[in-house]
Amino acid sequence: MINVPARSISDRALSTLNASFKADRDLRLKGYSDAMQFLANPTIFMRLANAVLPWAWTAAALCFAAGLYMALISSPTDYQKGETVRIMYVHVPAAWLALFIYVLMAVASAVALIFRHPLADAAAKAAGPLGAVFCFLALVTGAIWGKPMWGTWWVWDARLTSMFILMLLYLAYLAIWQAFDDPHLAAGLARVVALVGVIMVPIIKFSVEWWNTLHQPASLAKLAIDPAMLWPLLLMALAYTLFFLCLHLTAIGNEITARKLRAARLKAIAST
Amino acid sequence: MMDLAAAHAGFVIAAYAISAVFLSVLLAAVMLRRRRLSKEEQKLKPGGDGK
Repeated sequence: MINVPARSISDRALSTLNASFKADRDLRLKGYSDAMQFLANPTIFMRLANAVLPWAWTAAALCFAAGLYMALISSPTDYQKGETVRIMYVHVPAAWLALFIYVLMAVASAVALIFRHPLADAAAKAAGPLGAVFCFLALVTGAIWGKPMWGTWWVWDARLTSMFILMLLYLAYLAIWQAFDDPHLAAGLARVVALVGVIMVPIIKFSVEWWNTLHQPASLAKLAIDPAMLWPLLLMALAYTLFFLCLHLTAIGNEITARKLRAARLKAIAST
Repeated sequence: MMDLAAAHAGFVIAAYAISAVFLSVLLAAVMLRRRRLSKEEQKLKPGGDGK
């Protein structure tokens, strides 16, 4: 019989246990990393997007149908604004999305800058034109609301001006992608515009509190809106968001395909 | 229900019509680009139209 000291056995058991914990932790970290890489892989992403899209399109169509019914038929008129209150159901979701999409572009640009992942760049680039359209719609429907309510289509007050600057930032972002033949140079400059421009989002959000503006302050955060008007607004906002999700997933797919085609063309030129 | 004869009904109709037109154009643009890129991708595949 071998006589092994008790302390040596416990030390060995402890080191075996530690090694087991370390192996388990490494395996888990590798699992997270693999999961992230799996989801960020363009081919896997497109397969997942194609599975999600039919459901998202159906949900968007149903939300639009229900939202428009509530906005135009079942919701009451406002005692002060009359029928013009119904413009809110298309104006506010467009404005929310214009802000949300810019934040999304900035986050995707930051991810692309830090992790150098091409899918993040594709997501940011695909969001640009969509955000520009929603921002334009927020400005135009706001002007249509302003004429009967304020007696003017446009005033240079803090909210309207800051929203107009956001529109210019969107246009600058789109122009950069179009202006350079080298996509890496364009991506670098576009990331800077997205990251610097995101400062406009809190300025737009709090402009009605920081400055004396003609634009009304936020009604939703203070719950200063009747449920009869709140529900159509939320439903239309959900419809707009789902519509954006569908368009964005499709546009990212387009961007991935366009990059594949560009790489194939360059390969063909290089081989000749 | 919305009163189409109300004083500012025209503004409401204009806001909804402009939103519908621009969102439809956006949808059409994204889908047409998808279709065009799919066709180009098919052409590049071995055995595609381009080969």
